Amino acid sequence: MPSTAAAAAAAAANQPDELIRRLRSGDGAVKLKALRELKNQIIGNRTKKLSYIKLGTVADVVGVLASSVSIDSDPGSGSGSSLIVESAAIIGSFACGVDAGVKAVLEAGAFPHLFRILSNPNEKVVDTTARSLRMIFQSRLAPKYDFSKNENADCLISLLNSDNENVTGLGASIITHSCKTIADQKILSSAGVLRRLITLLNGSLYQREASLEALTAMLSSNSAVISNFVDLDNGRALSSLINLMEDKSPRTRLLASTCLIVIGRTCSSYLQDIELKNKLILILVELLEEPDRVGDEVPFALAKLIVDREDLQRLAFEANALDKLCNFLQRETLQPKRFEGLLLAIAELCSRLESCRSKFFSLKVLNLVTNSLKHDAADVRTVACICLRNVTRSVKKLSAGYFMNEMVVDPLIQLLHDSSNSVQVAALSVISNIVVDFANRKSIFLRCGGIKELVRLSQSMDPTLRLNAVLALKNFVFLADNSSKECVLAELTVSTLVSLICDPEPKVQEQALAFVRNILESGIDSIKPVFTEDGIIINAVGRQVRNALDLNVCLEGIYALGNVATGNELHKEAVMHQILEPQVNGPSQSVLMKFLQGNNSQLRVGAIWCIINLTYPDGPGTSSRIARLRDGGVICQLKKLADDPCLDAKFRVKTALVQCVNNNSCAK
Amino acid sequence: MPVRIAESSSCSTPSQGILKFEILGWHLVSESSEMELIARNLSISDSLTCANSGDTLPPACTLLSIGQAFSGSQNVSSLQKDEAWKVNVRIQGCDLDHGYLCGTMEALNVPFADTPVVTFWEGEIVDTKNYTFFTGKWEATIEDDIRHWSKFPSFSPLLNEVKDNGGRSLNLSNYPYIFMRWKEQYFVNVGVDCGLTIAGFYYVCFSVSDGSIDGFYYDPNSSPFQKLELKSTNEGKSGFSFSSYQLQ
Repeated sequence: MPSTAAAAAAAAANQPDELIRRLRSGDGAVKLKALRELKNQIIGNRTKKLSYIKLGTVADVVGVLASSVSIDSDPGSGSGSSLIVESAAIIGSFACGVDAGVKAVLEAGAFPHLFRILSNPNEKVVDTTARSLRMIFQSRLAPKYDFSKNENADCLISLLNSDNENVTGLGASIITHSCKTIADQKILSSAGVLRRLITLLNGSLYQREASLEALTAMLSSNSAVISNFVDLDNGRALSSLINLMEDKSPRTRLLASTCLIVIGRTCSSYLQDIELKNKLILILVELLEEPDRVGDEVPFALAKLIVDREDLQRLAFEANALDKLCNFLQRETLQPKRFEGLLLAIAELCSRLESCRSKFFSLKVLNLVTNSLKHDAADVRTVACICLRNVTRSVKKLSAGYFMNEMVVDPLIQLLHDSSNSVQVAALSVISNIVVDFANRKSIFLRCGGIKELVRLSQSMDPTLRLNAVLALKNFVFLADNSSKECVLAELTVSTLVSLICDPEPKVQEQALAFVRNILESGIDSIKPVFTEDGIIINAVGRQVRNALDLNVCLEGIYALGNVATGNELHKEAVMHQILEPQVNGPSQSVLMKFLQGNNSQLRVGAIWCIINLTYPDGPGTSSRIARLRDGGVICQLKKLADDPCLDAKFRVKTALVQCVNNNSCAK
Repeated sequence: MPVRIAESSSCSTPSQGILKFEILGWHLVSESSEMELIARNLSISDSLTCANSGDTLPPACTLLSIGQAFSGSQNVSSLQKDEAWKVNVRIQGCDLDHGYLCGTMEALNVPFADTPVVTFWEGEIVDTKNYTFFTGKWEATIEDDIRHWSKFPSFSPLLNEVKDNGGRSLNLSNYPYIFMRWKEQYFVNVGVDCGLTIAGFYYVCFSVSDGSIDGFYYDPNSSPFQKLELKSTNEGKSGFSFSSYQLQ
């Protein structure tokens, strides 16, 4: 045959249709050859994998595997083993890194066949099958292995006790994938799995890393199992782990560090030693340089380590972690995963320490983070918002009006329409901070249409969106000028505000009342709008103050009423009516007396401020109000608070009583 | 900004002189004899030692909360009493856990300035946890610290403890005064070439009782003991209002 014709024939044989036809052949040798060709085509080739998955090839391969298992049970059949090895390897390859592949493999029923093959006497067969199963278990789509079934637990132990490193690795992978609950961790710990995993730490690189991942799953958030682990062999297990943080394999260093982070997050006493904390941070910072998977995962590990831990954030900052992270962020080609991790680690570093935020601004990456609000990946957009949220916690920068500009505000407002709910919530959290703006540049936000969007989301069916939108509105009207406040009220409408004050969620009620409080802060002109439509706003506020069970709702409500009481006579009388009226279905005492007699010092102080404003000197109705407060037992109660253990309450009581006494003196 | 002002303005509460009346068996007196009240009824020594366990942070005070305003003056020179700048202060941030307070300071009649000069300042609250009475920076020696703190009458009961270790062992959670250092960080509305300096910082004493603030500006290169005197203000309203924001 001429050579060109031979090449054409070979190419035709490699065509998918032809290959599938040969897979279905009754001839074992033809099948085996087709399997090898298929394996070579799909290894490392995602596109090919997806195209064969679409053609239903996975089911054919699983079919070959199933039939080969029965052939292989016939002693003396050599071809059966080869077919198993090839088909199992292909199944693993389809499952490797492709969710659709895992789904197809599971739907084709490969799982039970593969598990059965693990007891095959042929070492190579077992080796390949274990590797394929491990690939499946690396996917989140793999079914959860039920450790509570005795036979499953026994099977797992036998896997971990195997001499074959791929089989022990499979056992560890099953734990990593399926050990998710306290109950799972307890079962495995009781079954002696910890000790076996620690032994595997001394095995091959593959076993060591699989074991570290499994240990992390077993120890996560479980102080009892952590305690068992630390006590094993007089603490040698923990020492081994710490030693592995300096292993020559970067991945081992990362996994050992991650395991220690999990231990330290749950039981901080094991991560107290300053040297150990420093070492952990330095290792992670160094690992940021690593390429590929390790480099992708390190920022997440660093973020997990320092979240809510100011001491560790400070150490990481001193180890120049922020400089490095920002430096990486500025590299041109970053995969979304790496980008997300870097943003998250920066966000955590800047979550509490102003020194970190200052450094962040000096490193000139704000624009880069702002630009990533438009990233294609929703996870990146979310984390970019979280990063911005944390850096905008800087009152120093807010005071300078640093963030209130179209370049930052516009993309954030657009994210309020994002298809991802978590992006919307994260964007709201940044907006909440930015609109605090002390530099009188709030009109920029109004001009960009931000208020319209916040009002829209304040009526969302999703309580989280509603809560965050109302919180942002509250922050916007904080120390805003009256014209800005009027714009917000006009957009929100009185009826919507009333429904938010009476929202089913107490947290929304609290924020709505705090919004009202801020609206009312700037004197008579700011109070008047609250008295429109027959005073339904102040009535709603009063109802909540009298009836709410939530402390914060009462607190915001009483301060809102206190602010109303800084207005004119009409306003003060309205407050008198609200706070002296007996509570519905409650005792006959007024809510004012209830707060003054209560245990909560903040509520007492809020109530006393209300009285101070109601008895403020020189008002034509002040004497009458003092008389009514006296009749209601309020003045008598104030005297009882003259030695209040809360200094703020004690001194405010003094002011109130002085005002009352002075008024009486003047009246006489 | 070497801001200072001459005479203190009048008290925000209406009563002047001593006002006495019986409340639960002890005498309540107005602010003009405030120290007397504290000495007799609050007992400074008790207030310093009664809370050895638990929270030792200074008392939260609504008059020193976010959004609150103060007005008064700063004398530029202790010799020329008439040379005084009107000063307005607004609290913009407060984080008691970290002993942090911040806000703006507006000087109104600064010579040669076309507009009021606004600066942003950050405060360290002396809570003996985050900060002690010893400054340890900004060119302030321990002697400078003691000399300035001693200008506040309310500091005298603390002096001996402070001399030992900056007052680290003191518990100020029930003390009716809050001591702070305010350091201006930047000019908000004018450039750095405005001819003013913010190189120094203020030793500040806030009275929980009436919300008044006294301060002394310290800058080795400026005239000493420029006095800041501020009163809590309701900005012309018929009472005191309170607003809030919440950073996420």
